[in-house]
Amino acid sequence: MSDLRELNWYPLVNSSDLPYRHPYRSKLLGHELVIWRADDGFVNVWLDRCLHRGMRLSRGLINGNEIKCQYHGWHYSNRSGGCTYIPAHPIDSPAQTLSCETFKSIEKYGLVWSGISPRGLVPDLSIESGESIVNLRSMFMRAPASDTTSALMEYEFSPKLKFFVQPLDELTSIVHGLVDNSQNSGDVEDILHYHNDQLVKIRTKVEFSALARPVRVNGLANTKTSDPTTKPASPQFSQSSRLKVKVSRKWITATDIVGVELSPIDFESLPTFLPGAHIDLVLPNGLARQYSLTNGPGELGTYRIGIKREPQSSGGSLFIHDVLDEGDVVEISMPRNNFPLRQDSSRTILIAGGIGVTPLLAMSQVLAKQNLHYELHYFAQSHEHLAFGEITATLENNFISHLGLSPMETMQTIRSVLGAHNTSENVYICGPKPMLDGARDIAQSLEWPDNSVHFEYFKNSNVIHSDSSFIVDLARSALSLTVESGQTILQTLRNNGVAVPSSCEQGACGTCLVRVLEGTPDHQDVYLNESERQRGDQILTCVSRALSEKLTLDI
Amino acid sequence: MRKLYDFELSANCYKCRLLMSILGLDFEIVPVDFYPGFEHKTEEFKKINPLNHIPVLDDNGYLIRDAHAILVYLATKYDASHTWYPIMNPELLGETASWLLFAEGTTNTASAARLHINLGYDFNLPVVQAGAHKLFRFLDEHLWFRSRAGIEWVCNAGHPTIADIALFPDVMLAEEGGISLFEYPSLRLWTDRVKRIPNFIVMGGIFPASPARN
Repeated sequence: MSDLRELNWYPLVNSSDLPYRHPYRSKLLGHELVIWRADDGFVNVWLDRCLHRGMRLSRGLINGNEIKCQYHGWHYSNRSGGCTYIPAHPIDSPAQTLSCETFKSIEKYGLVWSGISPRGLVPDLSIESGESIVNLRSMFMRAPASDTTSALMEYEFSPKLKFFVQPLDELTSIVHGLVDNSQNSGDVEDILHYHNDQLVKIRTKVEFSALARPVRVNGLANTKTSDPTTKPASPQFSQSSRLKVKVSRKWITATDIVGVELSPIDFESLPTFLPGAHIDLVLPNGLARQYSLTNGPGELGTYRIGIKREPQSSGGSLFIHDVLDEGDVVEISMPRNNFPLRQDSSRTILIAGGIGVTPLLAMSQVLAKQNLHYELHYFAQSHEHLAFGEITATLENNFISHLGLSPMETMQTIRSVLGAHNTSENVYICGPKPMLDGARDIAQSLEWPDNSVHFEYFKNSNVIHSDSSFIVDLARSALSLTVESGQTILQTLRNNGVAVPSSCEQGACGTCLVRVLEGTPDHQDVYLNESERQRGDQILTCVSRALSEKLTLDI
Repeated sequence: MRKLYDFELSANCYKCRLLMSILGLDFEIVPVDFYPGFEHKTEEFKKINPLNHIPVLDDNGYLIRDAHAILVYLATKYDASHTWYPIMNPELLGETASWLLFAEGTTNTASAARLHINLGYDFNLPVVQAGAHKLFRFLDEHLWFRSRAGIEWVCNAGHPTIADIALFPDVMLAEEGGISLFEYPSLRLWTDRVKRIPNFIVMGGIFPASPARN
């Protein structure tokens, strides 16, 4: 049943009564709400329910730009409401469809305004929104909004006094009020106390008559959203969406490295991302390049990436450095994460070489916000080569730079940084191939288990052999296809109408990973670690092939 | 040695544990099977407290009963700064005392409702619930105007007092007594501030708050 009131904007709370990091419980037209102000100032208005077990998020904890359910610790991102971490599945990325139902919010006249599906603009009160507004103490009434509204009619109004009635449900309401004191006509304390006393009198009256009347609940249920079978709203973006974004800022962040800030055009906020995620940036020549997001948790106002000038590359970085300009519009993919961060380590070591710092910056900020134990070791040629100083400055003593070291010194430093492995320590490495290979060898020699060593290569510099020919059986699609020599599994699948997501298409990023049910893969990627390769139960379809005559894939 | 005759789920015992933790005082817990054993009602326990209730503090042989009295004693004796029980400031001390009496009211209403629902104690539930709502309405309004004046605590001071400790568990656990805090946003905001006091400890039903923004 549609309710016309759902189309309206309502004030829900005085801005001054909504500090940072307090999940504020409210209700509107039967919908239980949690309202919370993130560290970036954004006011989130969401259904007050964790997607997991229905726990009120208003009992949760706010780590700056994420809210964490008190029950099983699911994390949700500022702005989008997207789930960013599930502690029970620390190495998996939560599905992109896991998103809390969010409502629009606007702060104006010292009030937070929202609605269930509000149309148009917040009402114009014909007063200046600013310092001279005195927001009264909001008054909870154990009486329906209609009773409250008629009782307010007895009030001695002046043009400078405004009241708004927030209908909580069929039985209760809240009065919000403000006084325009731009002529300084009264002492603020006096104004607040005077109206509070008046509203208390009205409350006494209206509650008394509401009590005397038999309760009737019809139409609007007392609480609408307690039904756990209600499906969460479908997210604004789908996995395959391409988004147009604007280059809102481009700056030199280090020698040969530019920072690029991308802002949404058609939307208020960008999609949820996980720490370690990358986006594809589509260049005018149609080529897509992968860049990791440097953003801290819940920072969905803009995406920020870093690009190193690579004169030997096929032109992506040169185009961004030399041609791309502020104000230009480019297309990006949804953020993907094949470099997921565990948030349950006793110590997390992040090792960055050069531009490889970008995904580790996003990780550092997530760990920092939660006061978890971590270190970011950043290897670079010189101080001038350190990018994103504005982020590393916030990491305080957890940030350690190592400048101008020889390859040998680099390896010695990595060895001493890693040390012997203790239970539940994890290391994340991103950088150029020689450093990465060396660091992995060191970790192995120090007996770090494979599943505690996480890495991301920029690119796959292996020589790819594609001369074999073999059959792939698709178990779930009941298809049998032949991969000809010179063709990849991915191309063969696509030519036959089977959709598989992909990104770098050179065996580095992990997007096109598929499970193998039978057969022996011929791994040619740099994404899987040694024990994953030996298990042989997954394959990167963009470069890897088969050693056996046939591979059975779980698609 | 300092010993607290204690029941883990008692709001009044928690008040004593909380203040001792904040003041950094070591203590031993002597568990009293308040429920379902009713150990505090035994002849044996009468020797420790003739009134047969908990908590009781044994501070190296000095026995003192009743949560709020224990708070007064501990703060006076062990808080050298005299902020928690401000004996050097008569006005503030008087105010603290009046809020301690107010907290007796929340104990007799909000905590009574919780005892009725959780442990089957015989109270007139609607009466004690209505009583708690009346006190919470008053406290919520008080805290809103305090906060507007830049004061974050129950008493008119730039620091918390034992009045905050005495009121805090009764408010936090009220929902277990069927008393919703929905109507009292200023109360809810104030509980966050109490939870952020250094060396704050939790109990069953009382969770930590989000860390404050730097």
